[in-house]
Formats: sequence, structure tokens, C-alpha cells
Amino acid sequence: MRNPIIAPLVLLPMAVSSLSVQATEFMTVSQAQTLLFPSAPKFIARDLTLDDTQRERIKAATGVRQRNAQQQVWRAERDGQLLGWFMLDEVIGKHEFISYAVAISPQGKVIGMEVLSYRETHGGQVREPAWRKNFQGKTLADPFKLDEDVPNISGATLSCRNLLDGVKRLLTLHKFYLSNA
Amino acid sequence: MRSVRRMRPIMGCYVEVSATGARAELGVQKVFDVLQWAQQRWSFQDPDSELARLNRRPGHALTVHRHTIRLLSLARALMLRSNALFDCTVGGALVHAGHLPNHTPSLPMPRGRAQDIVLGADYAYWRRPIQVTLDGIAKGFALDLAGRAVRHLGLASISINAGGDLRVWGVHAVPVYRRELDATLTPLGALREAALASSGVYPTNDALSDKGNFPAHLVAQPGCSAAPGVWSVLARSAWRADALTKEAANAPTGQAAARVRELGGHLLENTQLLSG
Repeated sequence: MRNPIIAPLVLLPMAVSSLSVQATEFMTVSQAQTLLFPSAPKFIARDLTLDDTQRERIKAATGVRQRNAQQQVWRAERDGQLLGWFMLDEVIGKHEFISYAVAISPQGKVIGMEVLSYRETHGGQVREPAWRKNFQGKTLADPFKLDEDVPNISGATLSCRNLLDGVKRLLTLHKFYLSNA
Repeated sequence: MRSVRRMRPIMGCYVEVSATGARAELGVQKVFDVLQWAQQRWSFQDPDSELARLNRRPGHALTVHRHTIRLLSLARALMLRSNALFDCTVGGALVHAGHLPNHTPSLPMPRGRAQDIVLGADYAYWRRPIQVTLDGIAKGFALDLAGRAVRHLGLASISINAGGDLRVWGVHAVPVYRRELDATLTPLGALREAALASSGVYPTNDALSDKGNFPAHLVAQPGCSAAPGVWSVLARSAWRADALTKEAANAPTGQAAARVRELGGHLLENTQLLSG
């Protein structure tokens, strides 16, 4: 593998914003419903209310705790026919708060999923910019635009295990309490 | 101009994709499809992946996808060029330590040599019972593949943040911060038409380390330990940035920057090491 000759890499300097929380809103519940069930004109709320026994049953079957007694669920319908179920849920971890939705077919298969919002907190402060050391002083000929909507964070990799466990839990909720509804 | 931003759990982390352009929706979906495809091929844990099948049957040539050949070829070459500071054969050591599942009937070798990986035009196999893990390079390689897959869509820009590994294409410069070991954020600058990857190494017995939520494990060379800190590498391609962070973390004291530069990357200054 020969040494590639590359143009000097630069990180462009930018204004520093005060930031300790990474929070992004991707879509609303209504937008998620339309994305996951594009052909369904009707979404009928059919929230699940679970007693302690039912919640324990979920924990026993999946190994994942059913945190809430109330689970927000909608039937996706077209002309009276059930297209599937739209289930809203949250992952509440030590560092993360994620709102997401799963679309489940009447047969109990995941048709799709979307993350509605993502919030990651570590309580850390923002340091002084390090970019001065990284900037190599090259003048850029190309025009560029700064995308300031959402800052990106490189570093610790937060496992998505909690979210995948959540999807597993929702599938089991469907199997036990929705598949005959 | 149309802007779309979405997030999915793929490759064990949260992957956020942003795209700008008339076909932004399609671009974002295509990126997720490619990353999902990559996970199915190169996951160590998934027993049906090509990697798992290769790990299960050392000595047996298996037909694999040309991208798999390419990825293994890059991993092997980097292992040779870095004198094993980057080592994709440490899967065995991770299996022994209980961090990775064992798919073989007996315990594998903790590590091997680059020469143990044999590659043909459309097949691969290992000479000895090693366990190859592509964790330090496959994610970046998948990001590069995803970018190529949407090139024809004419998007103004597209950026991917796969659990802290960043790859950006197009007109937008994306502000980047690094998460240090003590959870502070260091503004690094704005990234454009390049890749940035970071690997965090906690000091052993550090109370700050939160292995349950941040499960990445770095395996150093025998007799050495990976230097604590967050190692960030800038490169033109994501596979290179991804892999070179491992090399940086494992390099002898004071040599990290030079080693990374030799292999086509740029090591960012480690603010963690500068303080206190």
C-alpha cells in the first residue's frame, strides 16, 4: 500500500457555541406515522394500559423492564382494514433520552422504525477551542457553507443496545396484547 | 434546498445521516441501506455474517463479496504497514476476555499475523485458527461505501455520524466537537470533504469509564498498554481515519503523530494529555 499523496487536511475554524447537551428533533409523531405507514390515512389511538402482572410478564419474557404502565399505540388503518401498529416509546439511559417509533405488521413483524428525537447529556463543559493547533493555514479556494444546525460530536460510542432491547420489548407487547385486537 | 436528517441504530451505535438536495430523502435511505448491508456482512456477533463464517472455519476457502475482499485487504495491509499497531486478528484475545462471543468449538488463538489472512479474487480463508475482527475498520469502510452509493444523486452535501465516526461530503462544513474522557467537549473546527474518527482509551481502573454504555475495547500489543486519552484522526477516507485511531492509541509514547502521518492520516492534538 503506497503512501497516498493527499492535499493537506484542514479543519476550518468556527465560532464556538456553548454546548453541553446534544439534542436533535428529527420529526413529530404525526410525521413518523406518515413515514412508516405512507398508505394509511387513519391512525386510531389504542393506548395499552398494563397492570403489574402484565408488566412483569413482559420483563420475564424479554429480560427488559416495561417501565411505563401506559404504552402509546395507534392502529394504522385504510378503509377499515388494519395495516399495522404504530408504537411510540422512549429509551431513557444514564446519558441518553431517545424518543422513537416502531411500525409493526399485523403478523408481528417490524416494518420500519424511526428515531423522533435524540438527546445525549454528559454534564461536561465546553473547553477552549483546539482548532488553532489543527488549522494548517491553507487558503481554501472552494466556497463552503457552515452547517450550524446540529454540532457533531466525535468520541465515545454510545451503544444502541437499549434501543434494540426496546424494539424487542415492543414486539413482545404486540404479541401478547395486540395481535388479537 | 431540501434538507433531511435521520437517525437509526446500526452497527451497534446510533447513526445520524444528514443530506441536502432535491433527492435528500432517497440519499438518506440509501445510506442506511448500505450500512445495514455492511453490518450483515461484517458483524463479528452475527453468526450468519461473512466474517463469522470465515472465523468459524479456518483453513476452508469461502466465497465472499468483493467488498469483503477489499476490506480484508486493507486491514491486512495496514496491519503489515503499522507493524501490527493496527491488528485485526485480536478477535481471539477479545473472545478469551469474554468481550466477544465464541463461535468456534474450541478457544481460538488470541492473535495472529497478517500473513494468516489469505485472499483470492473471490474467496478468503485464515491459515490458522485466528479470529478476525473488523471493528476498527469496517465501520469507516461502510461509511465510504455509503458515500459512493449516493454520489449519482447529485446531493449538495451529505454527512454521516456513526457513533462518533464522521464522514462529510459536499459543500457543507460541519462543526465538530470531541468528547473527552471527562465528558468535556472540545471544539475541533468544521469538517469538510473528509473523515474524522476518535477512539477513547480509559486509564485502567478509572472510575470515569462506563463500560456498559460505551463498550468499545482496545487491545494493545503484548507487553504494552494503550495510552489513555481520546485519539482523533483526520483522513480523506473513513476507513483510514477509523483504523488509524487504533494505531495512534497503541503507538509508543511520542510516536503517534508520526506513525499516523506515515499512513496517510493526521492526528489531532490530544488535549487530554496536555492538561494537568
